[in-house]
Amino acid sequence: MEPNLIQFRKGVLELCVLALLSQADSYGYDIASRLSETIDMGEGTIYPLMRRMQKDGLVSTYFVESSSGPPRKYYTLTENGRQSLNRQNAAWTAFTKAVASILGQRDTPSATPAPHGSTTLTVQKA
Amino acid sequence: MNSRQMFLDQLRAGLKGLPRSVVEDILSEYTAHFDDGHTAGRSDSAIASALGDPARLARELRAEAGLRRWEDERSLSNALGAIVGVLGLAALDMLVVLPVLMTVASVDIAFFIAGGCICLAGSLLLPLALVNLIPGFEGDWLQGVLISLGMASGGASVVAVCVLFTLGIINLLVRYGRAHYRLIVRATPS
Repeated sequence: MEPNLIQFRKGVLELCVLALLSQADSYGYDIASRLSETIDMGEGTIYPLMRRMQKDGLVSTYFVESSSGPPRKYYTLTENGRQSLNRQNAAWTAFTKAVASILGQRDTPSATPAPHGSTTLTVQKA
Repeated sequence: MNSRQMFLDQLRAGLKGLPRSVVEDILSEYTAHFDDGHTAGRSDSAIASALGDPARLARELRAEAGLRRWEDERSLSNALGAIVGVLGLAALDMLVVLPVLMTVASVDIAFFIAGGCICLAGSLLLPLALVNLIPGFEGDWLQGVLISLGMASGGASVVAVCVLFTLGIINLLVRYGRAHYRLIVRATPS
């Protein structure tokens, strides 16, 4: 696997959790399974992350009685979390746009000769 | 033993040393995860392997707890806890970082001790200088007083700088630990 990909995922994991919770409150298993589907992460890592976010004041928890078994812990965004989501969202959008424009430039034949560009790419991958 | 019990046992073993309430809280989260997965029709072993390596999860949780205690309360034992947590987290990187860290730490300690000694010597000399009785000293009264004052305050500032430096290093380690969290890599469950 592309080693950078791990770093990319690490960077956006918190943002993804904030975004999920901004749609609706949720519980650990639900967050973990939805995120592992889309960004392919180990499901267990969600719990250390949620503890950290809770201590950072980005999310808070409450318990809901469940029909089966013990009460279920739900996470909800705090005001801080909502602000952090907005900031990170803006930063992410601006950043990816900037990166995309640079990547796009390299792919355009007018900017760089295409054969040259593609050889460099192959060399880097190998 | 089934994989669910094995996962929870390994996690509990890895969390040894944390407060009991925290351990129970963490374990109840993972127990609930197994229950929810079961309801969703997954097998215990599938859930366990999707969760990842319990030993590594425990290391992350412990390191986070250690860093957090240091940030909440600056004390020597909490600093040690944070450092041990970070060391456990990134054992391999530490092969590189540790020698540097050891060097920096020993230089820091050396300066600390030297500063303390100079400060102490200055403070001891000051009363003698005031009554002009420093043994073997040729200068006049003012010189003696100024030299001992200078030694006392100079030594104290070296000590103070060392303390600030140490705090800075520990904070740097905390940030290093955070940056190196292996949060996403899916580990093969052992």
